[in-house]
Parts: sequence; structure tokens; C-alpha cells
Amino acid sequence: MDTLKIYAAMALASLRARLEYKVAFFAFLFAVIFFYLAQLGALLVVMVRFKEINGWDMGQMAFLFGLLTFSQGFAALFFNGLANFDRMLIGGEFDRTLVRPLSPLAQIIVSKFEVSTVAHGIIGSVALYYGAKLSGIHWTFWKAAALPAVIFGGVLIQGGIRLAVTAVAFWTLKNESLVHTVVFSGKEFVVYPITIYNDGIRFFLTFIFPLAFVNFYPAQYFLDKRGETLFHPALQGLTPLVGVIVFSLSLWAWKAGVDHYQSSGS
Amino acid sequence: MTPGLFLKFAVTSFRKEITYRFDYLIMILNGFLYVFIFTSLWRSVFTSAGGTFGGFTKEGIISYTIVAMVVRISFSMDDGVIPGKVRDGSVALDLIRPVSFQMMNLAQNAGYSAFHITARGIPILIVSGLLFGLHVSAGSLPASVVSLALSYLILFLLNYSVSLLSFWFIDVFPFILLKYGLINLLSGGLLPMDFFPASIRGWLDYLPFQHIFYSPAVIITGRVAPEHAWGILASQAGWVVALWIVSALMWRAGSNRLVIQGG
Repeated sequence: MDTLKIYAAMALASLRARLEYKVAFFAFLFAVIFFYLAQLGALLVVMVRFKEINGWDMGQMAFLFGLLTFSQGFAALFFNGLANFDRMLIGGEFDRTLVRPLSPLAQIIVSKFEVSTVAHGIIGSVALYYGAKLSGIHWTFWKAAALPAVIFGGVLIQGGIRLAVTAVAFWTLKNESLVHTVVFSGKEFVVYPITIYNDGIRFFLTFIFPLAFVNFYPAQYFLDKRGETLFHPALQGLTPLVGVIVFSLSLWAWKAGVDHYQSSGS
Repeated sequence: MTPGLFLKFAVTSFRKEITYRFDYLIMILNGFLYVFIFTSLWRSVFTSAGGTFGGFTKEGIISYTIVAMVVRISFSMDDGVIPGKVRDGSVALDLIRPVSFQMMNLAQNAGYSAFHITARGIPILIVSGLLFGLHVSAGSLPASVVSLALSYLILFLLNYSVSLLSFWFIDVFPFILLKYGLINLLSGGLLPMDFFPASIRGWLDYLPFQHIFYSPAVIITGRVAPEHAWGILASQAGWVVALWIVSALMWRAGSNRLVIQGG
């Protein structure tokens, strides 16, 4: 209970710090939204021209994009404090978190309020809404109940991947481009239905780097796409479970990293 | 600025990049990943569309994608240098140097890019060409070289102008993000201009963005015949002149209002 209170107080403080510079806050928010709109614009141009990508039409593509972006926003909210973690290690700032009465991970998580979360939330929900509407999803009770579970699983998968990649820094110290490649470029794979890739990449995105569970498999379930199941239809319902597995493994890797850690001395 | 001095600035920034070897391997992977994703995408939609679309064959669009992406990767520039110098005041040192600020930045960028061309662009070009198939037009070689040089200058001048905004704004990161958004959508780096609806394409001709990656890529891959390339080169050159004037005016206005807080 005390931990939660400390957590809330620190999170609020970092939000207040960001709002201190209102112009910068909104300029950044606007720029992030614009950046994603430009990306969506490129996708829109492709969809208008080609009508569909491997059997996924405009509405279905929007839904796919929405699931990814929405859970990415939440993952960023909790885990973007990790973005420049290697600098914390090299600069010795990490040592400070070790002597405070809250777990080091929790301190890093609340150290920075991530403005881009708001942008992701806006873009993600608009894409989800229009995607669902355009593709005429028939909302049953189970589908409505599954949506939060899928988002939850998606956040755990994306957060888990961030945590695991960040933990590599405990051994290598500098890992900025690794983080950039895995976290930011890696998700570009699943902007498109993974059926456009060869078998090796489909396998990779399902069983090794399971980003396909963030949006591709659950979208098949929501959109009733039965014709093109990959590997096994049961995968469509496994997002929350995969999320829990990925996150547990990452947490274990992180803890191993903290145990291994020796201060850089600076 | 003398050519020797230009070279010295370029070599120094090349050396700075080469120190992080692990990073560099990962960066090759990162670039290759984009080529892979987009060639997969085009192969899939072009197969559904029956092989040809928007004036491109399937082989043609794959060659276009490889070339545009490799140029994009090779022309990496560091956006943070000038804003960083203005923030910490070290730009004052550059002001008293007896060399042109703009030429010095161009030289440093050239070194930075030379590293990305040799260390990332060329390996990715070779691997992608072998894996996905690359067709370039041999007859377009002279026009291709000129077009690439002009597109490099356009991209540099655009980046440089946005960086100079740091004389007026404390945080230029939102402007940099806006610029990236525009370049991603409108430069041809991700998708060729031919896929845009005709009504929008007409407007895009009034902007410099398509001359960054689209123009060199269509010339290199031979989608535009060498004898028709000169018109494109002329408008690229026109944009270089226009942006050069804009950035020179910005530098003059900005450096005059610059106030460095005491160190």
C-alpha cells in the first residue's frame, strides 16, 4: 500500500514537471500526433491505391494499426523511463535508485511522464474506432470482454520486450541502437499483416519475438478472419497468456541484470 | 573554405562515428529491416494486383524500394548538433572561427554520411540486391551521380534550416519531428510519388520533398530515361539554390539575435 502511495506521488510529480512547460508540452504532443498521421497517411495512400493488403481492407488495416498503437501508448507510459537507461548506468545515476525504499524498476518507471502516451492514445483509439466501424465488427459479449484483455496482453508483450532489451545494458553498458532497433523499428513489422512475410519471419514474430500477438492474432479473432489461420487457430486467443510469459521472463532477466550490476564508479 | 579544410572536418566526424562498433552492426540490421518489410509489402500487393501497378512492375518497385531505402540510410545526418551547440553556448566558438558556419556543418555532415554510406548503405545495398533482385540503369550513371549530390544538398539544407530554428526556440525537437513526418510521407523514401492520387501529386510538385529520395531513385532505376532526367536535375538544382538562400538569411538573422548566457 505504501509502495502504491509513493508510486502515485512520484508519477504525479513527473507529470507536473512536464506541464510546467506548457508550450513545449503541447508542441511536442502536436508533433507526435502529426508524425503518426504522416505514417497513417502513407498507409492510406497504399490502401486507396491497392484496396487491400493480402486480404486486409482499409477498415481491417486501421483496426490492426489501432491495436498496435493503443497498447504501444500504454507500454510507453510505463516503460519509456527506460529509454536512456544506458546513460543512467554509465553516469552512475542508477546507484541512487538502489538505496531508496522502492524497487529500482518502479523508480525508473515513474521518473518521467511520457507525453507521447497521450498522442498514442488519441491516434490508437481513433484508428480502433474507425477500423471497427468500417469493417463492421459484430460486438458480442465475449469480444467486448476480450478487448481489454488483449490490450493488457499487448502492453505486457511490448513492455516486456523493452525491459529485456534494456536489461542487456547491465552487461554491455551501451545499448542505445539495440533498444532503438528492437523497440521502435521492430514494431514496423506488425503494422502490416504478417502473412506478407516468408515463413521464417512469421515463425519469428510468433514464437521468438511475439509481436504478432499484440495485434495480428487478436485482430483475426475480432474480425472473424478464419480463412487464413497461421500455425493454429488457438493462437488468436493467447495474447494475455503470451503477455504474462514474456513479461515474467523479462522481469527475470532484469533481476539477473541488477544482481550482476557493478557500479561504473562515475 | 578550402577543400583541404573541408576534408579535415569531414574526416574528423567520420572517425567519431567509427568508434562504436557494436552500435554499427545493429544499425546495419536496423536499415536492412526496413528494406525487408517494404519489399515484402510490395511483393504481396503487386502479386494481388496482377504484377504491374502505377507504372511499376513488381521487379521495378522492388528495385525502387532498395535504392530509395539505401539512399535514405546513407544520407543519415545528425540533427542534434546545432541545437545542442546553441543550448550550451558552444556555438559562440564557431562564430569566432574564420570559416563559414554553414560550410563547416556541411563538411561535418559529409563525414558523418560518408561513414553511413560505406558502413551501412553499401553492405545493405549488396545484401538486398542479392536477396531481392536489383535492376539499375547503366546509361543513367552520370545523371544518377548528379541527382544524388543534389538530393544530398537538399536534405542537408532542410535539416540545417530546421536546426537554425534553435536561435528562436528553446526546444526544436517538435520541428525536427514534423520534418521527419513530412519527409517520411512526401520524399519517396517509403513509397513512390506515383502512388499518390493525381490531385495531390500536382501539389507535391511545389514542394522540395520529392527531390530528396524519389528523384534520384527513379533516375538510378531507369524508370525515368536518361534523356528525360535533365528536367528533374534542373528542378533539384533550383531547390538547392532556393533553400541555400533561405538558410543563409536564417543564419544571418539568427546569429544576430543570439545571446549567450554567461558560462
